[in-house]
Amino acid sequence: MTSERFHTLVDAYGADPRRWPDYERADALAWARAHRTEANAVLEEALALDAWLARDMIAPPSRALVEQIVAAAPVPMPVPVPVHHKAPSKRRMFWWSGAAFAGAGLAGALAGALTMSLVLLGNPPPSADDAGHGSAHESPSWMSMSFDGSIDDWGDE
Amino acid sequence: MQSTGTETDSKANSNAAASTAAAARGASAPARCGVLSERDPDAELVARVGARDAGAVRALVLNKLPRLIALATRMLGDRMEAEDVAQEAFVRIWKQAPHWRSGEAKFDTWLHRVALNLCYDRLRGRRETPAETLPDEPDPAAAPEQRLEARSRDERVRAALAALPVRQREALVLTYYQELSNLEAAGLMGISADALESLLARARRTLRIQLAGEQAGKDSV
Repeated sequence: MTSERFHTLVDAYGADPRRWPDYERADALAWARAHRTEANAVLEEALALDAWLARDMIAPPSRALVEQIVAAAPVPMPVPVPVHHKAPSKRRMFWWSGAAFAGAGLAGALAGALTMSLVLLGNPPPSADDAGHGSAHESPSWMSMSFDGSIDDWGDE
Repeated sequence: MQSTGTETDSKANSNAAASTAAAARGASAPARCGVLSERDPDAELVARVGARDAGAVRALVLNKLPRLIALATRMLGDRMEAEDVAQEAFVRIWKQAPHWRSGEAKFDTWLHRVALNLCYDRLRGRRETPAETLPDEPDPAAAPEQRLEARSRDERVRAALAALPVRQREALVLTYYQELSNLEAAGLMGISADALESLLARARRTLRIQLAGEQAGKDSV
């Protein structure tokens, strides 16, 4: 570090060593310590300008601007659901619905079979005595039911 | 002063350091490998923004918006235009973040490049704009924050900055107000560190003259 270089550094970057180039800061500070009088004169002049520049304050952004910019950001991706909490897939739903359908059908068939067996137990087959008075294929009572009276009575009076 | 072997070594080291410093000062922008090899403090946050993390988006806005506003306000001298520039810069961030690869450039440096380009677009556009249409007084109906800023800022400093040639102003804003290193600033401006120092020295010389005039005016009152 030379006197000329120290002057050039301070003329360009000011009095704050943090703004000096990284690769020259240590040397410049060492030079300043070794040449206090000369260094202080240069630094004092630069410090006055630094302080003057620091008077230019910029107001922070408004909350409205922050929100406006945040709102313009792309929509967040949905949070991935862990596997053990995953909603049932369509395939799994189809499997369950098929099993339910088959179960309902089986239950219906069993119920039908039970009903028929109970009916047959409650209505024993016709005996031989009944054979001459009716058909072996006796119709249920509601099939032989008719309105009372002769059909002739239906004519116009 | 003692003349010892240690001093000789010290001088040799000093000469080596001086030559290294001279090489660094003379290095052109693309040769600033030291800047790029540093760890990027924004890398993790930008990666989260790229993954559409809402918390990271807000954190990045709160972290970078004040710096963007300050940079653009000082470059353009107009708060409303600076806010437009900041919004446009964030649109670029949202587009770029999913593709961001750390290690190629620091995010903050890239963001400064984007903002400076947007500022230069507007400064070029002003050449075709009649000077009388440019706002030079604070809007009385402006937001409270802006009225506060207009009251608090020293108009003479802002005016002195605005009067500087744009490259001198850019160099001063990047190194003094944005606190970028000399190599980062030179890289952004596409010039050598020596050229940056030349711009800075001229800018500060001009400002010192204005400051001296201001102090002389105070003394005469």
